[in-house]
Amino acid sequence: MIGLAEWLMVGFGLGVIAVRRRSTAVTLATGQALALAGIAIYQAQSINEAIAAAALGIRAVALATLLVLLVSRTRETRPVRASVPPAIRCGIAVAMALLLVWLVPIANKSRMGITQVSLSLVGFGMVMAATRRATLFQILGIIFVENGLALAALGLTNGSSLIIELGVTLDLSLIAVVASVFHDRIFAEFGAGDISMLSDLRD
Amino acid sequence: MISNLVLSYLVLGVPLLFAMVIIVLPTQAIPSTSRIGAFLSGLTAMFLSISLLCHPKTELVGKWLILDPLAGLFVAIIGAVGTASILLSPSYLRDTSSSVVTLGNRDRVFFCILFIFLAMLYAVPLAGNIGAAWLLVEGTTATSALLVGFSGKRRALEAAWKYLILTSVGMGVALLGIALLADSSHGGGLGGLTWKALGTFRTSHSDALIAFVLVLVGFASKIGWAPVHNWLPDAHSEASPPISGLLSAALLPSVLLVAWRFSAAVSYVIGTKAVHEVLIAFGLVSLTIAVPFLWQPLPWKRLLAYSSLEHMGILALGIGFGGPLALAGVVIHIVGHAIAKSLGFYSATPLLAHDPRSSKHCPSGIGRSCPKLGASMGISLATLSGLPPLPLFASELLIMAGGFETGHGVVASIAALLLAFGFIGLIQAFLTIITGDSHHHNAESLVKVRVAGVFRTGIVSLGLLLGLTYIAFFLPSSILVHDIIYRMR
Repeated sequence: MIGLAEWLMVGFGLGVIAVRRRSTAVTLATGQALALAGIAIYQAQSINEAIAAAALGIRAVALATLLVLLVSRTRETRPVRASVPPAIRCGIAVAMALLLVWLVPIANKSRMGITQVSLSLVGFGMVMAATRRATLFQILGIIFVENGLALAALGLTNGSSLIIELGVTLDLSLIAVVASVFHDRIFAEFGAGDISMLSDLRD
Repeated sequence: MISNLVLSYLVLGVPLLFAMVIIVLPTQAIPSTSRIGAFLSGLTAMFLSISLLCHPKTELVGKWLILDPLAGLFVAIIGAVGTASILLSPSYLRDTSSSVVTLGNRDRVFFCILFIFLAMLYAVPLAGNIGAAWLLVEGTTATSALLVGFSGKRRALEAAWKYLILTSVGMGVALLGIALLADSSHGGGLGGLTWKALGTFRTSHSDALIAFVLVLVGFASKIGWAPVHNWLPDAHSEASPPISGLLSAALLPSVLLVAWRFSAAVSYVIGTKAVHEVLIAFGLVSLTIAVPFLWQPLPWKRLLAYSSLEHMGILALGIGFGGPLALAGVVIHIVGHAIAKSLGFYSATPLLAHDPRSSKHCPSGIGRSCPKLGASMGISLATLSGLPPLPLFASELLIMAGGFETGHGVVASIAALLLAFGFIGLIQAFLTIITGDSHHHNAESLVKVRVAGVFRTGIVSLGLLLGLTYIAFFLPSSILVHDIIYRMR
């Protein structure tokens, strides 16, 4: 059974894939991260799970702050146009999500809905990293994959894996922070956060 | 007598300690402190490595740590290459003017990140479960991406960005596979993620196979196996030479060890045949993609990067073939590749100073214009090409023989053909670089550089490489290889 919060996560995901403005995308991605933290808090039944849920909440706020800072620091003179139109992007994302749901086995049938949402988010993240030219959207792609995996991990593991769960959250957030540093440098060097400008290295 | 457990904590702790110390030190003390840190971390690594390799019976397999002879071998490689990379970094930093941070903070930030990266790198072969290994490998991505793009130049930023995005998405796929395995392992969570417990799934064969493929494809993106290797030539060619050496000689094989341990663990559920077929497929595709690039007149570091792709492919084949001959070949290949590749990348610093155009063009006639530098580059390239009597010839021969031994004659024949083409390409590059025409050089554009350090490293490397060839004769019947077969069957 998929609840409202999980549907919201999917909806926010598709929204980010479709929108053009970075600030709108950051708002939607933050909504998705907060929905994930909400699910974690709702499902928490032990102190370890409550800690993990709190970590997800802090991460959502920290990433939102970082992304808002990035958007304000790197004002684009004009939006970076994606090479693929929004409707086709959304179509590819939905197809990718369906492919992953079809391909990946789900051992625990009671958690089928939540696992399907997780797989969809991972698929959305991969499609976004592949189809968007703006570096900030590629960072959001990583965050989507991260959100999907965090959702998959919720309730999946017993208490002893708290370190792994927190580690994954921290690790992927660190990747997003490092990517943000490079987004900032790329903007300073190239005048835009556009990966189509990163084309010097070819054989 | 210090126990292996304490030694392993020291191996991980010393680089972290020096990373913290460097943060608070005055700028002028950073290079000398880094040298001390390099020696100390290298020394602890050697002690641990010798202990693990000489006393395989004292192995420790826990939830978080695995201390076995294979871990010892990899810690030795990381220790040697890490120490050399730190020692050679000051000369690189002295010659470079650009960086992503201000000049005043450049050395501090560089060495701090380098020591953190080294600590994570040491931890990868010692990780006792796939979850911890994933965390550490992803941690190396974050730190090494900063080092790849450290110069702040356009090409370096491009390479770092590609590296970060492609490997992060790839590792996300791996984590998805790990989550699926954790879901279906006994007890769930961490208990199901240790190397020993990974083989106790409650899931079906096909479900476990899909999870295995997801994990392996994810790790392949970090190892640099084709077709998910796109970041590798860029990152290895644009990073500073000491970092390129560390990435190619230590990071790629360490992640390969994680994939190897994982493959061996899940083979209890999905069968060794399926595991070996997937590894052989990665190996063959990597070789096929790499070889045409070895025929192109590429810049030095880019040539070495494509050679990494080729050698990771050979290692995948060796692991995929299994058997004493192939696995002995894998051990020799990992060590020989680490020595030759790090020497090659270390030669790039004086090369770029001697002939700045070689950052974008294939160097030519270096043996004539700077014989000592040419000798070091020659030793590296001759080894990487598999020229006898150097050890990669012996290891490739052992791996191919292992293929025939284990009934993979057709694959081994195709691989041998591809290796022959790769050999011709690299020998062609060798001849151009060493004895090629240097007339096109504008004599004024060539800078006289101090190459004594790299030349000495080259001579020591040659001695080690020839010693390794000698070892190759005895290794297939050695206790080490029998131990590896026992653990990784």
